[in-house]
Amino acid sequence: MALDTLFAASHVYIGNAIWYLVIFAILMLLVKHYAWGPVSDMMEKRRQKVIEDLDSAADNRKKAETLANEREAALKNSRQEATKILSDAKANAQKTSDKIVADANSDAASIRKKAEADAKQAKTDALNDARGQVADISVAIAEKVIAKNLSAEDQKDLVDQFIKGLDN
Amino acid sequence: MEKSFVFEFLGLKFDLVGIVGSTLMALAVLFICIWLSRKVEMKPNKKQNVLEYLLDFTNGIVKDNVSDPDAQKHLSLYAFVLFLFIWFMNQLGMFLEVKVDDWMVIKSPTADPVATMSFAMMTLLLSFTFGMQKFGVGGYLKNYTAPVGFLLPINIIEEFTNFLTLSLRLYGNIYAGEVLLTLIGNRLAWSAGWPTLVAAAPLAMIWQGFSVFIGSIQAYVFVTLSMVYIGKKVTKE
Repeated sequence: MALDTLFAASHVYIGNAIWYLVIFAILMLLVKHYAWGPVSDMMEKRRQKVIEDLDSAADNRKKAETLANEREAALKNSRQEATKILSDAKANAQKTSDKIVADANSDAASIRKKAEADAKQAKTDALNDARGQVADISVAIAEKVIAKNLSAEDQKDLVDQFIKGLDN
Repeated sequence: MEKSFVFEFLGLKFDLVGIVGSTLMALAVLFICIWLSRKVEMKPNKKQNVLEYLLDFTNGIVKDNVSDPDAQKHLSLYAFVLFLFIWFMNQLGMFLEVKVDDWMVIKSPTADPVATMSFAMMTLLLSFTFGMQKFGVGGYLKNYTAPVGFLLPINIIEEFTNFLTLSLRLYGNIYAGEVLLTLIGNRLAWSAGWPTLVAAAPLAMIWQGFSVFIGSIQAYVFVTLSMVYIGKKVTKE
């Protein structure tokens, strides 16, 4: 046999070969049960966990981003709303104040007009009254004067007085 | 030449040196694995880290050479145990070589071609199995005529050469290491009184260190080539 001459120094022990294989098979089973199985299971589990963690982290980041965007948008909206409310209020206030001023002006104008009319009325009434009285008085005076006998002197005084009145 | 205990059982010859050495080292691998994996947790402790590093290392060998993911899963355990077992058997003879008179009791089992051929045969049979599982018996046999028909004899011879190179490389390296260690320790050290004894000590130390290195490299090479051969069988060329 070629193998016999090749390994003349050490004999071929078939028993040993079988022993090695059996030992190796038993070793493989035991190592699988005690070390390899649990450890590779754990490594696989860890791998899955890392993948899950990464996925959930990405998810969370996305969620947080959308949330932040929403918040920002809401903030912007509320700011706009506030500005609008403020400007509305300002406009309303302006309008109200304008109205109040206008009302006051028109009221004042009507009051003044009425007052003027009243005054005019009073004046005309007074004038009319005075005119009537003046006519009555002058008639009375004229009656009195006429009733008195007019002397020449009296007549002269009367004329003078009249003239004096004209001068005044 | 050292003698060894040889006995016969059920008509088969057994050599006690190989049996004692391989059994011891199998127990060592088993106990170390159990010790390292006592508490397996999601957040690994130091011992578990060592084991996971080793497992990653052998898984890396498998993944680099076998592209089939299904075979990768099955070969992970094989590569892990094979690497540890061969590494321990390689190292055994470096620090422990027990000789009683002229009777060898303990040395590296891998310094014996029967041991290395057993493991190479295991790899060879495993590669056949994987090839047949992947392509079926017919498809597997047809692969011997790939890529062209006239390569059939070369492909068949390749199986033998793969087997022989795989086993004899490991055997040769470890055996040579032990022979040189024996020469330094036995012949050189006692050749001319105390001067050679003093000179032999650092030499032996250096060679032992180198042998540890060689033993590690050879364990790595053995596992790598096993995976290359198996990987070739499950890949369509």
